[in-house]
Amino acid sequence: MTNRITLDMTRRGFLGTALGGAAALAAGPSWAAAKTLNILSHKVHETVLGTGTDNDLMKDWKAKNDANLVFTTFDSNPLQDRLFREASLPSTDYGVGYIIDNRPTADIAKLFAPLDDFLASAPIENYDDIAPGLREAMTVGGKTIGIPVRHATGGLFYNEQLLEEAGISAPPATLEELIEQAKKLTFTSKDGTPVTGMIMASDLAVFPVSFARAYGGDYITKDFKLLPKPEAMEKALATMADLFKAGALPRSYATTKNDDQVTWMQQGRAAFTMITFARFKQFNDPAQSKFPGRIKAVQFPKSSSYDGEMAAVTESWGMTIPANFADKDLAWSYIREVSSPRVTLGMARNGNGPVRVSTYADADFAAASPVAAAEAKALATARGAFPPFPEAARAQQLFLEDVQLAVLGRKTPAEAVESMVTRITPLLPS
Amino acid sequence: MRTRSLAQSLPLIAPVHILILSVIVVPSIFVIWLSLTKSSFGQAPTWVGLENYVRVLGDPAFRGALWNTVVIVVFAVHIELAVGLAVALLFASGLPLRRFLLVAVLAPYAVSEVIAVVMWRFLFDPDAGPVMLALQALGLPILDWSFEPTHAMILIALLTIWLHLPFTFIILYAARLAIPGDLYEAARIDGATPLQAFRRVTLPLLGPAIVVALLFRYIFAFRIFSEVWLLTGGGPARSTEVVAVYLYQEAFSYNAFGPAAATAWIMVAASLLLAAGYVLLLRRQVAGNAH
Repeated sequence: MTNRITLDMTRRGFLGTALGGAAALAAGPSWAAAKTLNILSHKVHETVLGTGTDNDLMKDWKAKNDANLVFTTFDSNPLQDRLFREASLPSTDYGVGYIIDNRPTADIAKLFAPLDDFLASAPIENYDDIAPGLREAMTVGGKTIGIPVRHATGGLFYNEQLLEEAGISAPPATLEELIEQAKKLTFTSKDGTPVTGMIMASDLAVFPVSFARAYGGDYITKDFKLLPKPEAMEKALATMADLFKAGALPRSYATTKNDDQVTWMQQGRAAFTMITFARFKQFNDPAQSKFPGRIKAVQFPKSSSYDGEMAAVTESWGMTIPANFADKDLAWSYIREVSSPRVTLGMARNGNGPVRVSTYADADFAAASPVAAAEAKALATARGAFPPFPEAARAQQLFLEDVQLAVLGRKTPAEAVESMVTRITPLLPS
Repeated sequence: MRTRSLAQSLPLIAPVHILILSVIVVPSIFVIWLSLTKSSFGQAPTWVGLENYVRVLGDPAFRGALWNTVVIVVFAVHIELAVGLAVALLFASGLPLRRFLLVAVLAPYAVSEVIAVVMWRFLFDPDAGPVMLALQALGLPILDWSFEPTHAMILIALLTIWLHLPFTFIILYAARLAIPGDLYEAARIDGATPLQAFRRVTLPLLGPAIVVALLFRYIFAFRIFSEVWLLTGGGPARSTEVVAVYLYQEAFSYNAFGPAAATAWIMVAASLLLAAGYVLLLRRQVAGNAH
């Protein structure tokens, strides 16, 4: 008896088997789809298209085109950076890229294929149904470079249970009421949780811009006018500083991020926040939130001292085709399908901010999303926090720096506004 | 021994040279060229000479970031060296459970920087962090790092010391173990106190290792990014911004590749300048050993 284990395979046999196997695989039937469309997007864009065979909104399109979709996802800023990098190369494998509405400057727009010819030869079903403001945001120099796919319009979320605990029967109808309620709701709730009246991220322009618009002011208008009513911005900063001083904004305001807003609201650590309406589902999900069904939303209220119309702050996403991508027909076919009323409605049910007006009229959707009416109302007049221009990101950084200094009490609102004018004006397009 | 001709030697050393050329020299030259141009996405680069350097050096935000970086580097690296040396000597003096403790001291080096910062953010959360609550319960002052820039800088320095202490420690510990025991025995026979033995035996013999550790840490610490970016994002109001964060913002938020490239070269120059004293010391030691 021997303990040796032998392998009866010669070198020739091994090589022959390997080569034969490779040849069989190469010549054999293909199990994967014939085509692959690579997409650069945020994770949320992939998620809202549905997961699993039954919920996949693109199932029919994939079968019809014998194509597979491969998403490469990033957070917003890295995504834009990667998209512009890919589009700057001699050629790219990415057929569709998702772009934020405040990014396409004239130089950036040159990196993407104009979509007007596609719109003429293979139109999108009922294209006019897509909100005109969102379509306009994707038009640069008269050319359509993107098709709107998602909007994130901000609303005021409140924790109904905490309001009741504090003896407040209705959410605020004016900005003054909001300030008063936020201060009243800076207390310890019945379950012993220290509650802060309001939470807002300090690294996003949407909050100071909303406060300024509530007083009839703005940050940068569509025609690049900086602080059209400086006194409104001063009032906005004074109000925010007052909230901070009263403890109605967290001590950690300067390091608060978007995600903190969500967790603080879900845990009952804050009574109010301003965030996109699409977060409704997440706030009220029993698996994530301590207050399922009790976190509701209304439009962000304007000041009682301002008679005009207040525009909510919105940010929208569009789908683009990099100009250096070869199979533009396949990319356009994807965009057409995603933009169709059917897929738009399906994505809205999955938590996407629908870009079509008709989606809000859908009875099932309205019934499933209690904030649909408020969102539709806000969207009707909503516009971005600022228009796209080459130095927009740098200007936003300077703006937020002054806002933070004013809120923390290191600058007076007047000094902050003066500093904004001095530093941001040279960055605006001439 | 037969001397090879250049033609015979070249093929043998070429792979290394090609590697260094392709991954260090060529990209460096490209960054120099980029720093002398104005470029962004969708824009062909245009020559601007030294304008980007002038612009970056004249930017108050850059000067603030440079100052913050120098402060963090100088404080963190030297405190880290002192603690690393103390721990290395403690280990060398003989400790119970030495292997277990060694793993504990080295563990932070195995933790990803991102995970470490997330962990510290949780521990030092101003409202609900366990460390903050414990400090408050003991009646001790808390680190109000999300509001006070100085406190934020202290927390960043503490975090970077905790993360990189194993590097300094392991270099010093290895060097300490290499010192022959006879020298301490001779010092003891000559009547040296432990402090004298440390000053006259340990410190001079650890000198080269200390300089190497300091030099590496100075250069690495100058590139500090994750700790600041993930903990404070450079805030409140850019008061804790460091040069690497400034560079990141220029390159990836503002897509201003010229100023970003100029910042990178200024970073290289500043870190070498800061470490110049130690470079000279190392050179003198190397020259001294050669004789």
